[in-house]
Formats: sequence, structure tokens, C-alpha cells
Amino acid sequence: MKTAAAAPEEHRFILSSLPPGPAQRRLALVVALILLVTFLITAGGPFSKVQLPQIGAFIPAYGTAMLVNDLITAVLLFAQFSMLRSYALLAISIGYLSTALVAIPWMLTFPGVFAPAGLLGANPQSTAWLYILWHTGFPVCVIAYALLKEADPARREWRGSVQAAILSSAAVTAGVVAAETFLVTASEPVLPPLMLDDKIRLSPAWFYAAGAVALLILLALVVLWRRRRSVLDLWLTLVLCAQLVEVNLISFPLATRYSVGWYTGRVCGLLSGSLVLFVLLYETTFLYGQLLRALLAQRREREARLMTGDALSASIAHEVRQPLAAMITNADAGLRWLNRASPDLEEAKAAFRRIATDGHRAGAVIENIRAFFRKDAGSRTSLDINEPVREVLALKRADLLAHRVSVEAELNDQLPPVKADHLQLQQVLLNLITNAIESMAAKDGERMLCIRSRVHDSSAVMVSVEDTGTGIETADIDQIFNPLFTTKSDGMGMGLSICRSIIEAHDGRFWATPNMSQGFAFNFVLPADNRIPSAPLSRQKRVAPANTYEY
Amino acid sequence: LPRPTVIAIVDDDHSVREALTSLMRSLGYVAIAFERAEDLLKSRRRRSVSCVIADVQMPGMTGLELHDRLVASREPIPTILITAFADETARERAMQAGVIGCLTKPFSEDDLLACILLACRRERTNSLQKSGATPSGYEGVPYALLG
Repeated sequence: MKTAAAAPEEHRFILSSLPPGPAQRRLALVVALILLVTFLITAGGPFSKVQLPQIGAFIPAYGTAMLVNDLITAVLLFAQFSMLRSYALLAISIGYLSTALVAIPWMLTFPGVFAPAGLLGANPQSTAWLYILWHTGFPVCVIAYALLKEADPARREWRGSVQAAILSSAAVTAGVVAAETFLVTASEPVLPPLMLDDKIRLSPAWFYAAGAVALLILLALVVLWRRRRSVLDLWLTLVLCAQLVEVNLISFPLATRYSVGWYTGRVCGLLSGSLVLFVLLYETTFLYGQLLRALLAQRREREARLMTGDALSASIAHEVRQPLAAMITNADAGLRWLNRASPDLEEAKAAFRRIATDGHRAGAVIENIRAFFRKDAGSRTSLDINEPVREVLALKRADLLAHRVSVEAELNDQLPPVKADHLQLQQVLLNLITNAIESMAAKDGERMLCIRSRVHDSSAVMVSVEDTGTGIETADIDQIFNPLFTTKSDGMGMGLSICRSIIEAHDGRFWATPNMSQGFAFNFVLPADNRIPSAPLSRQKRVAPANTYEY
Repeated sequence: LPRPTVIAIVDDDHSVREALTSLMRSLGYVAIAFERAEDLLKSRRRRSVSCVIADVQMPGMTGLELHDRLVASREPIPTILITAFADETARERAMQAGVIGCLTKPFSEDDLLACILLACRRERTNSLQKSGATPSGYEGVPYALLG
């Protein structure tokens, strides 16, 4: 039951619109705890007031690492923007680009690294002010990102040329960084001093500046947290946490350069710079694998002749339209031959003969479709209902993984066998599971597919497929078995009516109920096969474990 | 009398191919039919063709790929696509690629004829512009309609 608000198919595989899975959340929590512990140990531990030596290579190494990290992150985010065209992504890309670019003057102006007083005509205050501007720009961009991604959908997307948007925003960002550099190097008197004369200790004004930055980061954190949805949001939250720790460690308990806190703060800064990059790279590789698997599974599904309702209806339409087109065209041709100044009877007769042939062909197509659903005892065998359940779950595994749906299968191993067409039962289950995945892909939050099999009324077997998806409006419940009803924008809605036809052809019952908490449950009951009194027969058949079934 | 207009029909479905051939001949066109797109590309009569009617879904090269190949060649032929899958996005993509029209099977004779006239006009205008003559406006109109 996909709703109109669902994300387009291709967006499901893009990091900035994908909800984080449970493993991602756990990892993020671990990183947050490590940050907290690092902060507590560094700020409150016995080494907190130790002053370390000035390591000459530290600043250029750190600055270059930040520059490269943030630049790659910015490029990857710009690439996502070019796919999704969302203003929000453009804002966060600009954030990363600006932190990458500002690392250059920060490094060059650092006193005692490239020149005793720093390059670019720096004064003793330049580097500290660049640091403040650096850590102001990023949270501002995060706030813009958080607000823009919740904006009115019609205004969320850039409509113009992607290339122009990226080039102009890169140019503006570079311009702003250049202006900032000029401001802090050329106009010392305008800005209050952040460093004391020894170029090591920070002045009282630093605490106001750093405090303002910390508050801004905190604000960005709150704004983003209230709007968190995607994997990207989750890790950006952690980036802000790392920056908060960094700003605090540089200021407390020793407000000097080269203290333990100062070095640790830099390490936190590097971590914050790398987090999103690592996640982007990991997710890209992971999703690539997913797509590959999904592609292979799709091919297998096709080869297995299993079709969902939509695919089936499209294929039926195709098969019927071919002879219809031929018939109509032949009729037109026949009329044309007869309407000539000297009617060509032979050609006209040939056209009418072809119409008759095509009519028979269309009839045969319809007959085939009917045979597909007809009660046909010949193709029915006594089988364990859990077998097709496991097979279809295996078939859809890649799709379930790609949509981060967790599966809970409560399959009763002591079920009596049912007499059924194996392929048709697979068809039913495939339709139900595909529907459930599509319904859950249309919303955020927990995605759980629950499949149960159990004994029903002592002489029947019941299977239920529950999802936590969008569910169905109560008014629509009576409508869902109507072959032409669909909440999907791109489907014909034949899936459920096909399922019901198949189950009823097996003397079973098929019905739907709203799920307890959210989503929907589809249930069907099939009578147990009484002609085989002992269940072990079906067990013996199952030599290979069902979960290793592959097509 | 001017040379008769040649229409190429490419469809893997035998019935549709025969029906279209008959309809085209009844209208006074010369029709040549191919089962596969590759056969048209290899055909020696390709240069005489004014308009191609091609099915979209065919084994091997699809109708849209055939159109792309024709556009890329030095002598493009206006193409009309026909399909039994009513897929709006595929239709839009085909129209953007510059096909004359994309008709869903079963289609009406009027729609098909309108596309053919448009295709022949475009084809003839292109070749007349090369030779510097002015188009008469009756290019591609079948003899059955003129007479």
C-alpha cells in the first residue's frame, strides 16, 4: 500500500534519505559515549593541566588532514545534491566546503609553523579568530540544512542547472573564506584580542567567543535532533557533539595552546571531520552491494516465473493487446481495400481471415489466464506451508535488507500438511511480502515484517503476514479486494484480488485486519490435507534444510 | 507521379506485422516488414524508407534503440513507436528522444496516419532543404487519400 507521499524508488538508496538501521544507531551511541568519556577524562583527569611540548609538525599535519577529509566529504555531498537537488544537501555541502577551505588560512597563519609570525601577513590574533569563524560557519550550515529539509516539498528542490548551483555556491564559499581571512589578518584593531602576548595563552575575550560558538553548536544540535530522520542526520548530530567537546576542551581547564586538552580537542576535531566521510564511504559500498544483490534477486524472481500482481496484470495486458491491435488494424485495412475505387476483394478477405485468427489467439490468452487460477488438482501436492514461506523470504532477502526491514518469522514446525499448488502459494506470499515492504518503505520509523504460521481450529493452517507500514484507511478496507483498487500511484491493484482468488480456489479463506499497533495484517487459512493422516510424510520429503533453498 | 512512399514495419509479433503491412498497402504506401530491428539496419532498401513504425519491446534491439541508431547514422529516418505496455514514463522518454509519436496498442488508424503524415513531411522537408526546393505540402499523403 504505497502512498503518494512515498519517496521515489531511486531515493531509497541514497544516504541522505535512508533511515538509520538499529546497528547504525548502536554504533552512533558507542561513538557518543566514547566522546563523553574522552571529554570527562581529559577535562577532569590527572593530566588535564599538563602542558605538552609544541610539536612542529602537528599543525600542518592536522590542517591538511582536515582539508582533505572535509573536501572529499563536500564532494560526496555535492554529488548527492546533484542526484536529489535538495537545498538542504546544498547547505550541508557548503558547510563542509567552508570548513575545508578555512583550514588553509588557519594553517598558514598559525604562528611558528610556516613562519615565526604566520604567513599571509598574520597578526597574533588571526589564527584564533579564524578558528572561531571556522566553528561558526559549520553549525550555521547545519541549521540551514535541518530547516531546509523540512521545508515545503514544492520549494525543497533546486530546479535550475545542478552544475551552476554547485559552481556558484563553491565560488561564494571561497569568496566568504577569503573575506574572513582578509578581515582577521588586515584589521586587528577591529576585533578584540583572543590571545595573550605570549601567543600560547588565551585571553578572557576568548571565553566569550568560544562560549558563543558552543551555544551556536548546541542550538544546531537541538534543531537537527528535533528533525532527525536519515543516516546523514544521525551522524551530523555526532559531528556536532564532537565539535562541542572540541571547543570545550580547548577552553577548559587550561586555556592554552599545546595543553593535553588542546591536543585532545584537535583529535576530536579530526574525528568530527572524518565521521560523515567514513559513513558516506561505508554506506556507498554497502548500498552498492545491496543493489547488486537486489539486481540478482530480481533476475532470479523473473526466472522463477513468480510475479507480483502489478507485473502479472501488466503482462496480461500486454498479451491481450497484441491480438487486439492486430484485429483493429486488420479491420481498418479490410475497410480500406473495400473502399478503393476498384475494391480488392482478395486483400479484404485475407484481412478478415486474419481477424478471425487473432480473435482465436486472444481467446487462448484469456483461457491461459483462467487456467492459471483454476482449481487444478493435478498440480497440487501435499506440502508444508512453511516451505513456500521460507522460500519467498529467501527470495526477497535482498529487498528486505535494502529497505532495512527486520523480519520476525514465527513458524510452527508441527503443522499438518496442506494440499496446494506450490507455485501459487509462493505467488500469494510474494504478493503479500512485496506489498508489506512497499507499505513500510513509504514511512519512517520501525520497519518490521512478522510472518506467523499456526494451527487453526485443529483442522486448518493459518498464515499471517503483518507489517508496520502505512496501513489502510478504514474507509478503504472494504475496497482492497476490488481488482482495480490501489493506493499505489503506479499499480493496477490486482495483487490482493489474485491472492484471494488463489486461496479461495484452495477452499481457503483470505482476509485483512488492521495490525495491533500500526500497519496491516493479511491472513489466510487453508484446510489441512486429511487424506494423509500422518504428518511425517511431508517431513521426510524435506531432505535439504528449507532455509538453504535457492533458485 | 512522384515515387511511392516506403514505410518500414518492425515488429516481432507476426499478426501485428502482417496487419500493419496490409493497412499500409491498402493506403497506397509501399510496405516492407522486418521481424528484428537489426534486419532493417542491415537492409539494402533502408535508404528508400521514409518512415519507420517499430514495436518497443522486441528481443534484441528495442524500437527505441533502433531510433537512437537511426538518429546517430548519417541518414536518420523519422520513427513511430508502437507498444503494448502503456507506460507513461517510457512514452515520455521516447518523445524526448525525438520519435514522431508513441502509440499504445491497440491504436486507431487516424492516430497512426497522423503520425505517418507528420513523419513523411519531416523527412521530405529535410531532403528538399538539402536540394534547395520548396515543399509542396502534400508530401507523404497516400494516393488513396489524394485520389
